[in-house]
Amino acid sequence: MRARNQHGGRARRPSRLRRRAFAGALVLLAALWFGTSPVAAAGETPGACIVEKVDALEFGGQRGAEALHILEETAATHVDVGAEEKLASFEKKLEGCLEAPNPILPEVTEIIWGGIAFVVLLGLMQWKLFPAVKRGMDRRAEKIRGDLDAAETARTEALEVKAGYEAELADARAEAGRIVDAARADAERVRADLVARAEEEAAELRQRSDQDVEAAKRQALSDLHSEVSAIVIGAAESVIGQNLDHDTQMQLIESYIDDVGSRN
Amino acid sequence: MSIFALDFPAVTHLFEWPDIAFTDTYLALNKTSLIYLVAMLLTVVTFGLAARKRSLVPSGVQHVAEGGINFVEQNIVMQTIGAEGRKFMPFLTSLFFFIFFINIFEVIPFIQFPGNSRMAVPLLLALVVWVVYNYIGIRSQGLGGYLKNSLFPPGVPWALYLIVAPIELFSTFLIRPLSLAIRLWANMMAGHLLLVTFAVLSAALWGFGYVPGLLPFFMLVLLTAFEIFVSALQAFIFTILTAVYIGGSLHPEH
Repeated sequence: MRARNQHGGRARRPSRLRRRAFAGALVLLAALWFGTSPVAAAGETPGACIVEKVDALEFGGQRGAEALHILEETAATHVDVGAEEKLASFEKKLEGCLEAPNPILPEVTEIIWGGIAFVVLLGLMQWKLFPAVKRGMDRRAEKIRGDLDAAETARTEALEVKAGYEAELADARAEAGRIVDAARADAERVRADLVARAEEEAAELRQRSDQDVEAAKRQALSDLHSEVSAIVIGAAESVIGQNLDHDTQMQLIESYIDDVGSRN
Repeated sequence: MSIFALDFPAVTHLFEWPDIAFTDTYLALNKTSLIYLVAMLLTVVTFGLAARKRSLVPSGVQHVAEGGINFVEQNIVMQTIGAEGRKFMPFLTSLFFFIFFINIFEVIPFIQFPGNSRMAVPLLLALVVWVVYNYIGIRSQGLGGYLKNSLFPPGVPWALYLIVAPIELFSTFLIRPLSLAIRLWANMMAGHLLLVTFAVLSAALWGFGYVPGLLPFFMLVLLTAFEIFVSALQAFIFTILTAVYIGGSLHPEH
């Protein structure tokens, strides 16, 4: 405990009430265990009771067994009525020694102590102890009730907040869906535009290349025509050894080209 | 007393104890009186400590005291008197704990004696209860009304009052306190006799071998457990009957 104090911990010293109660309980328990051990159980035995009664008997100037002997002899003569009565009374006392005590009859001292104990207990319970414990229980019940109410309120609030969040979440989801749909539509539109433009460009390109091919073809044919003309003229001139006039040249060239064209 | 070579202690040795202080006075203290005082002290300490300990989750003595209060409130007062009976809670709780602690010494080693196997406290408490329920009856219904409702319970045909009135007179004003006292005292006395009988039997038969010695010993163990139950049960019965009588005084129509 001291070590805990040095470390700044709160010391838990037994309260004065607790120490007193503990000491009182120990004293009473010790008294119960040692002061009233079973071997010390009371109750005179019938024998001891008879001996005590005989010892206390006085008759004819004698005491004890001698007095009893004289009393019995005197009573047997039936002369002394007083002796007879005394003997009868004495025998009744002896019979009393053999009778077990009536267990249902309470001891006055026990009633007094029991009464003191119960009155003290009832007084303390009524005055202080019961109200104090009950107050603690009521305070706890109140606190638990308050905590439960607060928890219920917090739960309701949390549910409301949750419902709000869920509504917002649903709105956000719908908004997101709308945005995605719009984006998808835009994308589709852009794609269609791009495709259309690409097809258009492709068609244009194709047309332009066709035109180019056609022009190149025409150019090639024209070039070919010129070269073939020159070759044919040269060959014809070398064969015939003179220059051909213009009409003959043209005729010759045409017939050659037709011939080549029919072969292709 | 010797029966079949068994030495059974005389009844004076089982129930009557020598004075250990203030001998030959009205305040002579013996084992029984000490048990009454210890039972009172145990109840006071239990509730005193419970009142000082105010933890949210009760444990130890706080649990015992609060459990006892709840038990008396829910199982005795609310079942017999109703919410109106809450004002009698300190009285009924004191009765329950006082009787229980006196009874339970029956099984506490080295003490082993139920204080209520002596007639003093059962009779005293029964008389207190008698005074309490009669006082409450007179206060709540008036003397005439209380006597009328006690002797001539409402709802009974007129002709039957010839039989019922004398029966009620005896039962309410004479038999009730006696039956309360005798029930508690006789149960505890019988339990003590049973335990002593089997303890003596176990000790006597131990010399004949383990088997004859063990049989009464097992019985002794079982009866010890049973007596713990009886201690609580008798405290409960005494308290609930008290509550029933108080309830009857407050509400004669029931």
